[in-house]
Amino acid sequence: MNIYIYNYSFLNLLSVIDFLITNKIKPANIKNLSYTPNLLENPINLKIKDNPEILEKIKTNWGLYPLKVMYYVYLANDNYKELTIYYLYLNFLKYGRITLNLRKLKCVTKSLEISQKVSNEAHKLKGFIRFEEMQNKVLYSIIEPTHNVIYILANHFKKRLSNEYWMIHDKSHNIICLYDKKRIYFVNKDNLKLDNLKSAAEELYSMLWCNFYQTIGIKERKNDRCRRNFMPKKYWKNILEVRDEYEKSN
Amino acid sequence: MNIQEKLTILADSAKYDASCSSSGSTRANKNDLGNAAYAGICHSFASDGRCISLLKILLTNCCIYDCKYCLNRKSNNIKRAIFTPEEICEITINFYRRNYIEGLFLSSGIIKSPDYTMEQIIKTISLLRNKYHFNGYIHAKAIPGASEVLINRLGKLVDRMSANVELPTSSGLKLLAPNKKEEEPAKIMKYVKEHRTKYFAPAGQSTQMIIGATNERDLDIMQKSSAMYQNYQLRRVFYSAYIPVNKDKLLPTILTPPLKRENRLYQADWLLRYYNFKVEDILDENNPNFNLLIDPKADYALRHLDEFPKEINKASYYDLLKVPGIGVKSAQRIINARKFFKLTFKDLKKLGVVLKRAKYFITCNNKYFINESYFNKSFIESNLVLEDKQEIKRTTDQLSLF
Repeated sequence: MNIYIYNYSFLNLLSVIDFLITNKIKPANIKNLSYTPNLLENPINLKIKDNPEILEKIKTNWGLYPLKVMYYVYLANDNYKELTIYYLYLNFLKYGRITLNLRKLKCVTKSLEISQKVSNEAHKLKGFIRFEEMQNKVLYSIIEPTHNVIYILANHFKKRLSNEYWMIHDKSHNIICLYDKKRIYFVNKDNLKLDNLKSAAEELYSMLWCNFYQTIGIKERKNDRCRRNFMPKKYWKNILEVRDEYEKSN
Repeated sequence: MNIQEKLTILADSAKYDASCSSSGSTRANKNDLGNAAYAGICHSFASDGRCISLLKILLTNCCIYDCKYCLNRKSNNIKRAIFTPEEICEITINFYRRNYIEGLFLSSGIIKSPDYTMEQIIKTISLLRNKYHFNGYIHAKAIPGASEVLINRLGKLVDRMSANVELPTSSGLKLLAPNKKEEEPAKIMKYVKEHRTKYFAPAGQSTQMIIGATNERDLDIMQKSSAMYQNYQLRRVFYSAYIPVNKDKLLPTILTPPLKRENRLYQADWLLRYYNFKVEDILDENNPNFNLLIDPKADYALRHLDEFPKEINKASYYDLLKVPGIGVKSAQRIINARKFFKLTFKDLKKLGVVLKRAKYFITCNNKYFINESYFNKSFIESNLVLEDKQEIKRTTDQLSLF
C-alpha cells in the first residue's frame, strides 16, 4: 500500500498528482505531511517541487470552474479527498472540458458533492461569523467549521472590511487569519499569543443586537424546525444571539 | 428614552414587513466600509425561521394614518419613538462591522406628510452613505404620495426601493386603509421601473401585501401579482399572512395566521417567475383558491395528466420545469448531462434530482418507476397527499391548521 505524501499546499498536491499520473503510478492514497500511516501502509515522500504552471494549464485547457472544484475538494474534511482529485485530474486528461458533465463517473459525482458542501459552509459562515471589537479596535471572531473554509472567508472579508483590522480564528483547524488593511496572513494558532480584552463599546452593541434578535421574531409564527434547518445547531456556539439558548439546551 | 428602548420599539413595529432579502446588487467597496453580495447573505434566522439579513427598523412608529390592520395606527395607544439619523447610522455601522447584518432596511410611519417623512429617510440614508461612507446594502421604503423629486433622490442612494400595495384589492384598501390610495404605490413603481440603472435602485423594487385580512380570493392575488411583475418588473412580491394585532369589527377574527395559504402563494409566485407558468395554469374562475393539500405545481400536473409522463431524455427545458419536484437547477443539470449519455432513474439520483415527487410524472428511456398501469390520477394523488401528511406530522407546529 503506497501512500504518497505532499506538503500542505494545494499547488503541491496538484504537482504530486501530475507527477504520479505522468509516471503512471497508481497511489493507494495521497496524504499530507501530518499523516500517520498504519502498519500496512508505506508512506513515500517524493519531495516534488511546486509547479505553478499546472494552475495555468488547468485554467486554459479546462476552464476556471474545474480548478475551483478541485480547490474546494482540497479544502474539504474528507479522508479520500486527495484521491478524488487524483481521479478527477486523470479523467480531465482523458475527456477534457466536458468531464464535469459526465456524472456517471464516481469521481465527478463525488467531487461536485464535496465541493458543494464546502461552498455551502463557506456561504453560511459569511453570514454567521460574529466579530467582537477588541480594545485596540481589532475585530476578532471564532469559527469552528467542518471544512477548511477560512481561505474563502478571508477573501470575502478582505473586500468587505477593507479598512478595518480583523482576525478570524478557526478553532477546528487551529489557524488564525489576520488582516492589516493591506494583506492577509495565515498563522498557526500556536505561534500567536492573544489576550482578549473587549472594547468599551462592545457590550452596548452586542446587547443591542441580542435585543433586536429577540424582538424581530414574530411569536405567532414561531417555527423552531425551520430555524434549525437554515441555521444548524453546530454553529450556534459561536453565534452571539443564540449562544445562550444553545448553552441552556445542553 | 435610551437607545435600547428605541431599538426595541422600532424593530418591533418593523417586524411585520416580510422583505429581508439582500440580493441583486453588486455595489463594490471603495476602500471604505462594506460591499453588497449579489446572491445576498443571511446573517441569522429569527425564532420564526425567517432570515435576518438587514437591520429592519422604522425611523419612527408615529403615524398620521389609521389603517385598521396596523400596529402603529394613529388610534392605538402604544409607546412611540423616533430615531435621529445619527443613531441609525451608528447602529448600522457598528452592527455591520461585527458582521451582524448585511445592511439596512429603513421604513417609517408617516409623520406630518409623505414628503416630510420621505425627506427624513433621505437625510438618514444620505448621512450613512456620504458621511459614514457605508457601501453595504440599503433597502428603503418609498412613501406613497411623496413627490417624484424625492423618489429620485432616494433611488440614487439605495440598492432596493419598495412601495407597499398593502392589500390585494382596491375594495379591501378602501375598507381597511381609508387614508391610502391605490394608485400611489403604482406611481412609484412606474417611476422606478423607468429610471432603474446601475446607479438608481440597482437591486430593483419589490412590494408586499397582506393576505387574509379581507375576503379576497387567491385568484385575485395572483392576478394582481402577475400584472405587477409584467408592468413594473418587480423583483419580488411578498405575501404576509395576516396576524391579528388590533381588535376591530372590520377585521376577521382568526386565531392563527393563514401560513399554509401564504406558503401556497409563494409557491405559485415562483411558478410565475421562474417556471414559465401563467396564472390561468394555476387558478381559474371555477377553481379560484389553492388546494391546501397539494402544492400548485403538483395540482397542475394532476389536472393535466394527459401531458405526462414526460420522457426525461427528450422533454424540452420548459417541459421538464412542469414536472413536480424538478426545479430550475435540476432541469439544467438534466439537459447538460443527457447530451453525453442516456439518463436512468439511478443517474437522476446521482445528479441530485429529488425523485420523491418527480418519479410519478416521468419516464426514463420509456420506463416508468413501477408498473405503468399505476399511472393514474387516484394513485398519484393519494401518494402525494400521504407523503405530505407524513411530512406535516414531523412539523407539529403547523398541525393546528388542519
